Order: sequence, then structure tokens, then C-alpha cells
Amino acid sequence: MKSFFLKDMQYRRARVVLTSLGITVLISLILLLGGIMNGMRIQAQQYVKSTGADIWISAEGSGGAFIGFSLLIEENMAPLNTRRELKEGSLSPLIFAQARPIIRGKSTKAIVVGYMTDKYGGPKQVLDGEGRMFKSSEFQDYRPEDPIPLEVIVDEKMGLEIGEQITIGTEAVKVVGKTSSLMFVLDTPLIFMDVRVAQKVLLGNYPRVNMMIAKANENREPEKVAAFFDAEEKMEARTMNQTLDDIIAYYVDEPMKAVQFLRVMLWIVAGLLVGMITYVTMLEKTQEIGVLKAIGASNSYVMTHLLKQVALISVVGVTIGFCLAYVFAAAAPIFVAINLVESIIVAGISFIVCCGSGYLAARKVIMVDPLIAFRGEIDGGMFRHSPTVAYSDAS
Amino acid sequence: MTAIIEGIGLTKRFGYGDAAVVAIDSVDIRIDERELVMIMGDSGCGKTTLISLLGCILTPDAGELRIDGEEIDLTGQDLSLIRRQKIGFVFQLFHLLPYLTALENVMVAMDIAKTDKSEAEDRSIELLTRVGLSDRLHHRPAQMSGGEKQRVSFARALANRPKVIFADEPTANLDSRQSDNLMNLIQELRQEHQTTVVIVTHHEGLKENADRIVYMKDGKVITS
Repeated sequence: MKSFFLKDMQYRRARVVLTSLGITVLISLILLLGGIMNGMRIQAQQYVKSTGADIWISAEGSGGAFIGFSLLIEENMAPLNTRRELKEGSLSPLIFAQARPIIRGKSTKAIVVGYMTDKYGGPKQVLDGEGRMFKSSEFQDYRPEDPIPLEVIVDEKMGLEIGEQITIGTEAVKVVGKTSSLMFVLDTPLIFMDVRVAQKVLLGNYPRVNMMIAKANENREPEKVAAFFDAEEKMEARTMNQTLDDIIAYYVDEPMKAVQFLRVMLWIVAGLLVGMITYVTMLEKTQEIGVLKAIGASNSYVMTHLLKQVALISVVGVTIGFCLAYVFAAAAPIFVAINLVESIIVAGISFIVCCGSGYLAARKVIMVDPLIAFRGEIDGGMFRHSPTVAYSDAS
Repeated sequence: MTAIIEGIGLTKRFGYGDAAVVAIDSVDIRIDERELVMIMGDSGCGKTTLISLLGCILTPDAGELRIDGEEIDLTGQDLSLIRRQKIGFVFQLFHLLPYLTALENVMVAMDIAKTDKSEAEDRSIELLTRVGLSDRLHHRPAQMSGGEKQRVSFARALANRPKVIFADEPTANLDSRQSDNLMNLIQELRQEHQTTVVIVTHHEGLKENADRIVYMKDGKVITS
């Protein structure tokens, strides 16, 4: 009877459903937590990668472009433009700072990016039909008293309209265009503006920048160029990859240590719970296993019967958990990026844990005499110490 | 007569240390082919333990066992094969699988013995019809009376054409009419299938059906 195990499951459908549900919830939680961290990593990297720069220079002692407080006097950095280690004219001033713009009367979380449109640091154009780029200031000849165009372009997902006014610091700036989304960690939107505007609204109109970014000369390795500048006084230099590592460590791994810990705990709890559920379910079938053995079933027959059930419950639980995680990820208020490979690994491990615990429980039951099993005396002292174990049923 | 089962010095202890109880104490017993033997005695005297040892569903601590002329290696042999091929069990509480119908409960014994499905189905229907349950083939245990469940249990025990059927208090949960019917059925089946039957019972009224009665007390056979 091939459907023998299915009939058993159908008969005990409440338990089967509950067991599968338990596995489903645990799997989807594990995948979601992983997806949240993965999403943060992706968001932490996408702006830096979008700039195209491979050398990131910040103030000495800052620990890196995005790590500690960094203010550079751009005039002091200007001589770097002539260095042969860098691509000619690639040195770009950049302001990257957290801000609380007032949008429609509400204080909102955002990051202000000040850059020069003809250099590295931000988008070169807006989305089709979504306004225009902001006007650039005359950066090189700038005097603080000169008027500047208070215009910004915003992330398309911010929901702002072209022409809308937002307040950053004490200045009202006008949204003139929308750019494709480059959300930073935890869905923090970026507001792009001319570097002079950023200095005006965030730095009290002082001609400072947070960092300088550049492109290494084509015949130079970025690692060597970064190391070369890093050795100089008054600046720290990193490659793009080093910068990405810094950002992930600073914005994702450090603050998410608790979540990571929670995730590890969840893994352990999930493993234990799934194992326990399967184990207890198996032990509850002790009497039935005893009967099957008493009417001639070999250990392998009983084990196959039980493992088919565990495997099916695991597959159903893991599959639904897998799908549910993707549904929750799509509906989540933050960016969640579930990694397919990780999902498959999680699913695989969960399946192995389920089947493993099922196997251990089933093995415990089938290794005793049928009479002991169907009397349900397996956990009694009788079983533990007496030689009633039927080692002879090895088949 | 040829012995179908021979137990020599069978001993079984339960528990450990000071709490150990000797359930079967060096019992020698012989059951001949086609005999109907009843094992009787007070509660707790070791009747069920003895047939469990003889039927290979419990491993003795000491002693030797021979079934159908074959020495049973109690530590190394695949006992499931012996149970499957030579022994049928009928339990006091029937122990039918609750999620299977009467037909499937009989078929499962043959599934275990790897009998072809259609052959198993035919034989199961034949056996269930023989025990008077042709109209209950697709009923689950919960939908049957105690007497009906016990008859399914007998049909299941006969499924793989065993040499010996052990029945542990088969009438304990039946009324007197059902008990009489069951004993008549057992007698008929025993004749038809040329099977040896060993019954554990308290029921004095069943004695007249036995070829031989084995009395037990405190784990020992006192009269055979």
C-alpha cells in the first residue's frame, strides 16, 4: 500500500498541519531576518557603486569616508588633481550627510548628497519625463555671498512632486527632478544637490566637503593608489571595495549585531523546535510502530514509513515557509532582499534537521521489542536499563 | 506430534536492580503442531509475557527458543522475518491501525510481507468474508464493535498463513455471545488453515475448546 503513510497523515491531519505550520513560520522568519540584513547590505553599497569612483579620500582620523566625522578643505585637496596616480580631472568634492528635511510639514529621514554634476558623486540625469537636473553653481570661483540655485533632485520613491518645496536646515529648496532610486540603509532616501547648496544648507556656508572621490589612473591599481594617498598626512584613502566593506561594517554589521544574534538564536530555536516537534510526533506513534513490528514489519519498513511522513511534512512546511518569506518580503515596509542561495541552504538544513530528528526518534522506537513499543513503555525505566532492546531486528 | 514451538529455560526480567521483577522464570514449554493450547493463570502470573517471548515480540534474558524446527538466534537473527512468516498475533485490545479500514488493516500485514497488491486485496477480502465481515470491509476500527474488531484482528493474523497464532485474552473485551462466536470461529479457522493456536485467557468457560491447558503461577508453568 503505497498510500499507507498518506492515510496515516490524513487521519492525523491536525497534527500534520500544526507541524508544517511550525516549520513554515520558523523558515519564513529565518529567511526574512536574513533578507532584511541582505537588503541593508545591498542598500549600503548601491550609492557608492553608482558613483563610479574607485578612490575615496576622507580627513585624517575619520576612519574612512563614511565612518567618522570628516571635513576637508577642498582648496587643500586641489593639488591632488595634478597627481598622475589619479585620472586627470577626476577628483570630485562630495558631501554625504544625514539630514532631517521637513517635507509637507513633517520631519523626515534622508541623506543629503552634494556633488558637482560634471564630476563623480551623483546622477548625471533625471528619469525620463521627471523634471530636470538642478542648476550648477560656479564652484571654482565661488564666494560665500554669491547667490546659489536652491534646487534639488530627489529619489523617485520619496513621493515628492516636481516644483514642491522642502526645507533642509533653515533653507527651503525646490524639487526640480527625480532620479532612479538609490536608497541608503533602511530605505533612507537620497536628496541630490549641488555641492555649494549642500554647503549652504548643512555646513553654514563654509567651503568644506566630507570627502573627495576620484578615479585611479587607468594604468594604476586602485589598491596601490589608495595606499599611496593613505600614507600621506591629513587624509585617509580607501578603494571602493574597502569603502564598501567599511560601510557594511559600520551601517549594517555593527548596528545589526543584535539582529544577527537573534538570527543565530532563531536558527538554534528553529532547529530545536522542529526537531522536538518531529521527535515527539514520532514518539506518539510508538504503539502503532509496535503493532507494525508485531505483525512482522522489519525496522527498515517501519523507518521508511515514518521517514516518508517526516519528509513530506518537512517539504510542505519548508516550501510554504519559503514562499511566505518572499510574500512577506514584498509586503515589508523596508527593503528585504532574500538571497535565493541562502534560502535553498536554509530549506536544505531545515529538511535535514526534520528528517534527522524524525530518524532519531523513530530509531529509538524501532530498536525496542514490539511488546515494549505498543505498551508505550519506551520512556520507562524498564526500557532504559533492561536488555529488551531487539538488536536482532536489524533488517 | 511434531513440536512447532519449544522454549527451554526462558527467563524474562523487567526493571533493574532492586526494582527488577522476574516475569518468566526458567520456563520450559512445548507446543505441538495444530494444537490449541490455552495458557491460564492469575493476573500478573506472566501469561502475556510468555506468549510474547514465544511469539518473538519480546526478547528473553535467558533461554532457548525453537520455532518450526529452527533454532532462533535471539541476538543476531532478523526476528521480523520469523514474525512475518510464522507467527500471527491477536491482541486483547485489537491494536488495529485506526486510520485504515478493515480491508486495509488486513492488507497491511501482506504489504509488509511484500505480497502483490491485488493478491493481497483478494486474500484480505476472502479472509474478512470468512470471519463474517464482508459488509464491513471499508469501515474503520472506530466504526466497528469490539467483536468485529477482534475478527479483523484474526483475519490480519491469518493474512500471511502463519504456523502459529498467539491470541492474548481475545475474548476479554467481548460479551459472552461474542466470545462464543469468536471461539467457534477460531476452531473453524484452525481446522481450515491447519494452524496452531495459543490462547491466553482468564475465561474458564473457554477451557472446553482447548486440546491442552498450561497453568502458570508467579512466572512458572505449574501444570502442562
